[in-house]
Amino acid sequence: MDRPAGIFDIRYEQDMAVIRTAPQWVCLIGFLILLAALPLFADSYFLSFMILTGIALIAVLGLNILTGFAGQISIGHQAFVAVGAYTTAVLMDSFHWNFWATVPMAGVAAAAVGVLFGLPSFRLKMLYLTMSTLAAQFIIMAFFSHAFPDYFRAVSGIRVSRPELLGIDFRENEAFYYVVIGITVIMTYFSRNLVRGRLGRAFVAIRDNDLAGEVIGINVARYKLYAFATGCFYAGISGSLHASYYRMVNPPQFPIDVSIWYLGCLIVGGMGTTIGAIFGVFFLRIIKEFVTIISPILADLVSPLDAPKIGPGLGIISWALVVVLFLIFEPRGLAHTWEVLKSRFRHWPFKFSI
Amino acid sequence: MELFLQFITGGLFFGGMYTLIALGIVTIYKSTRVFNLAQGWMVTLSAFMLLTLVELLGGIAGVIAGLVFGALLGFGIDRLLMRPLIGQPLVAPFLLTIMLAYIFEGINILVWGSMSYEMPIKLPGESLRLGSVVVGHSLLWGIVAAVLAFTAFSMFYWRTLMGRVMRATAEDHQTAQSLGLPVKGVFSLSWMLAGMLSVIGGLFLGVVSGVNMLMYQSLLGAISVVLLGGLDSIAGAIVGGMILGLIQSLVVGYLSPSLADVIPYIILLGILIIKPYGLFGLVRIERL
Repeated sequence: MDRPAGIFDIRYEQDMAVIRTAPQWVCLIGFLILLAALPLFADSYFLSFMILTGIALIAVLGLNILTGFAGQISIGHQAFVAVGAYTTAVLMDSFHWNFWATVPMAGVAAAAVGVLFGLPSFRLKMLYLTMSTLAAQFIIMAFFSHAFPDYFRAVSGIRVSRPELLGIDFRENEAFYYVVIGITVIMTYFSRNLVRGRLGRAFVAIRDNDLAGEVIGINVARYKLYAFATGCFYAGISGSLHASYYRMVNPPQFPIDVSIWYLGCLIVGGMGTTIGAIFGVFFLRIIKEFVTIISPILADLVSPLDAPKIGPGLGIISWALVVVLFLIFEPRGLAHTWEVLKSRFRHWPFKFSI
Repeated sequence: MELFLQFITGGLFFGGMYTLIALGIVTIYKSTRVFNLAQGWMVTLSAFMLLTLVELLGGIAGVIAGLVFGALLGFGIDRLLMRPLIGQPLVAPFLLTIMLAYIFEGINILVWGSMSYEMPIKLPGESLRLGSVVVGHSLLWGIVAAVLAFTAFSMFYWRTLMGRVMRATAEDHQTAQSLGLPVKGVFSLSWMLAGMLSVIGGLFLGVVSGVNMLMYQSLLGAISVVLLGGLDSIAGAIVGGMILGLIQSLVVGYLSPSLADVIPYIILLGILIIKPYGLFGLVRIERL
């Protein structure tokens, strides 16, 4: 809670405000205008980059609530994204629902499944609970692959059409971009505020010391389930958008690798900070795109026999290595680096701040 | 009946492989309190490495070189990645092993590609005939290796001085350190042992089912073996491994092959709900 010099909170509203100073308001509004104006000058490659980043960001924000704030490590988050995606797809395909109605339903369905797999948290913690999320990943995906072939159609996949609202057709990426970014901004806002309230403080208390939390009157088991519900609700929303963006849902889209990648985003960004989730997702997404660009160039340098290995191999190594380096050298993530930078800037030319 | 025997031997073999992996995880967990999720990936990496080494050096020399590689791999992981994390919350090394798994996967793809290879080693002996049932001798070798590894580890832990040091370290790091035991050395040794176990596992799995990238999908199931048997129990590793191997083989044989990948996780979830500390694990009494 470092603040520029000369800012004093003389009313409670000021003390609680997320955005405190005029420059912060200018930055926020400028950034939102930039986001809104992006389709006017960005090309389609950059737009799809932003859409995919937004979808991933919603999922990572959910994981941040579950892992970063409540301290329950989940290595099966992509399965809950799959629950959201399948809810949207099946409701639209078999029951002819409107897309907009399926989005909250996707969140609720994922939250319900999340609570179901969070139930072992009554007795378990840490490593053991992580294992139950690992089981969730494989059991949920096997369920979608083998159960109810009439509804889930694992072999052919379910087609999903993009939505329409008030005569605006969201089939083009330019229009769909606004759907994703709008929902992402709203979800980020909720995430930022949720963790400052009663719920978020209870989560942090459970993470830091569950025994002490219990003693000061937090119902640990119930709040862990709340954490699962909230985190998986985010995953469900992300899954709904995912289904709609790819216009197709099938089981191979939701491997465990992506669950781990989400966790990597959190580590790179810094666990337990909303800004960290945003930094982490952008950082790893940029690395991914960078590898996609340079791997054909590298593939030209090696023999044709080795060329097909470069892309997938580098794609995995690059992000995993980055996460390992962050774990060793900057465990608090980019969010901490950002705080240090801001503080340096504020205290310049004095060096004794941090 | 003949099919049943086939399923039993197959199940025991995969149970043996699960045992080898679980032994690695348990060895590391016992002394360092780090759950090594990458053990299955280490087995795959070792199998690929064995492939190259055996082609270079020939049968026995290649396997010995492979064991040296396994020990070096474990030592390297401990020295370069785990040592800097001492003193941080236990979540950090756990997350690091997850990421390490993906680094290994990437290395595998970069160096060996995603093709399937055959391990160029012939195990001595011939297939066994029991009446009309044919039992592959490499399956038997795998089972024997798992039982031998289990026996050797039990003897090591209970009969030798170093084993006692390792058990003392597992009990409490700080007390062990203040009594003058080489805690860091124990950490390195456990990682080296786990690396060598992964080479043995890779050897037999490679001989029986070929070396390919799909191995870790199935090897990840060894995690449920560890939890089934108890996180810090050597005996749990072999009992849990054999139970899981048999159940998986029988379910795949009699019910449906599509269930093969889910069985370990259903067992995992069941054991977490019913008996979280496993069959032989040390129960830590904690109120939640």
